[in-house]
Amino acid sequence: MSTGTPSRPLGRLRHVGEEFATSWNRIGGQARFYAETLAATPEAVTRYRTEFLRLIAQMGLGSGALAVVGGTVAIVGFLTMTTGALVAVQGYNQLASVGFEALTGFASAFFNVRLIVPGTTSVALSATIGAGATAQLGAMRINEEIDALEVIGIRSVAYLAATRVVAGVVVVIPLYCIAVMMAFLAARFGTTVIYGQGSGVYDHYFDTFLSPTDLIWSFFQCVAMTVVIMMVHTYYGFTASGGPAGVGEAVGRAVRTSMVVASVEIVMISLAVYGQTGNFNLAG
Amino acid sequence: MAFVGTSVVAGDAMVMSAQTATLPVRAVGGFFAMSLDTFVLMFKRPFAWREYVIQTWFVARVSVVPALMLTMPYSVLLVFTFNILLNEFGAVDFSGTGAAVGTVNQIGPIVTVLVVSGAGATAMCADLGARTIRDELDALRVMGINPIQALVVPRVLAATTVALALSATVIIVGLAGAFMFCVFIQNVSPGAFISGLTLLTGFGDVVVSLTKATLFGLAAGLIACYKGVYVDGGPAGVGNAVNETVVFTFMVLFAINVIVTAVGIQFTVS
Repeated sequence: MSTGTPSRPLGRLRHVGEEFATSWNRIGGQARFYAETLAATPEAVTRYRTEFLRLIAQMGLGSGALAVVGGTVAIVGFLTMTTGALVAVQGYNQLASVGFEALTGFASAFFNVRLIVPGTTSVALSATIGAGATAQLGAMRINEEIDALEVIGIRSVAYLAATRVVAGVVVVIPLYCIAVMMAFLAARFGTTVIYGQGSGVYDHYFDTFLSPTDLIWSFFQCVAMTVVIMMVHTYYGFTASGGPAGVGEAVGRAVRTSMVVASVEIVMISLAVYGQTGNFNLAG
Repeated sequence: MAFVGTSVVAGDAMVMSAQTATLPVRAVGGFFAMSLDTFVLMFKRPFAWREYVIQTWFVARVSVVPALMLTMPYSVLLVFTFNILLNEFGAVDFSGTGAAVGTVNQIGPIVTVLVVSGAGATAMCADLGARTIRDELDALRVMGINPIQALVVPRVLAATTVALALSATVIIVGLAGAFMFCVFIQNVSPGAFISGLTLLTGFGDVVVSLTKATLFGLAAGLIACYKGVYVDGGPAGVGNAVNETVVFTFMVLFAINVIVTAVGIQFTVS
């Protein structure tokens, strides 16, 4: 004897509707989390100062196996060094093929600041401090430590998420300086020492075309990116579920999402700042 | 045991500190040992075809959408920055040349790196790490199945296959994005853009670019599998392993990129 239950009316339509509603609710939940995090930042700095300072130290130096290879500072420096060296490798040779290799110093001053350093820094940040935050928060969520925090009366969003966002912004200031320095030095070393261009030629074009305004905008791009990257990563850590595998998956999903969001953000800020005219004069 | 207690504790502490000090060295050694095992077992029957197909599909599924979403902004940013320069020279007709040089030689391989390690390798490491934590790999060994042959070899090959296929897709999409941006937003003539594409970029550049992508896939697959197989410490351990996978793959792949670019450019630029 089988008692089949009659299917509900409009089953398939209802299924599509429910799926749409779920994804819509997820976007809403995400937006609310970000608003809460941003609203909680003053509280995070004033009330949870110890945790905030601890996070700054931890993010700068990294933890576990990452601290062994030199921490976030060394990783960011290494990544921008390799991409800065591309200016020498690709730029010098490509310019030499059309007879303009003297302009490699200009390429370093122009492309490093506007394109290479923001792009590489965004990737490096989401891999190091971002993914680290997701892994920590995800493990806390799985072990029900976040619920425990709420029970003993600590505001978990302010204590865990907002502190991380502010700490990320503080840490990115020295990191950006290291990133730019490494990119410039790698480009100069590759061009003058390895490919043998006169350092006077290189320095002349580099100094002529290095614009401090561009550097400041590039720095603000990096700070804006850090805020977004840290918010995305803390959100995915906060909402991790599904045991050990869930934490790993959350880290992966957070890295993909934050890389895409950060790259869109770089383009938007670049288009807004440099605009149609380009804010650039060949005359210097 | 009481009378030797202190010396045992002191000895333990020394062994512990020696273990901490040699940790990176042993990790590198373990990684190369596993890579060697993988290369040897790659040619040994039976090959895990089923796992290979499933993994290729899995890596492709998690990578394709982020790859396309990441290529568009980066190639638009590249042509935008490049066109500022070309506008100043009055040579905006060559924007296709700049787009081709940047996209084929750098944006294509680098976006493939980011996606293969950020999307593919993380998912792979999380999956393998979860299996290791639940002792499933030990269970395989008990049944006489070598987990390297059954799980690692197909995953490494899957990552390599997908990276190769992905880099081609990324280059096409990047060039299409650059075309749209230049022609419809910056009013470059479409014919000039297309004819400029092959001015400096030729067959050699495409070969170098695809070689890079293959190496990236191989390295990312090996690192992800190593981190996944040798994970410890519960849920936090898996999260940290995935984090370390991302960082180490980025570092290795960016280094490979510079080296292969420097070697390849000797052959492609005359």
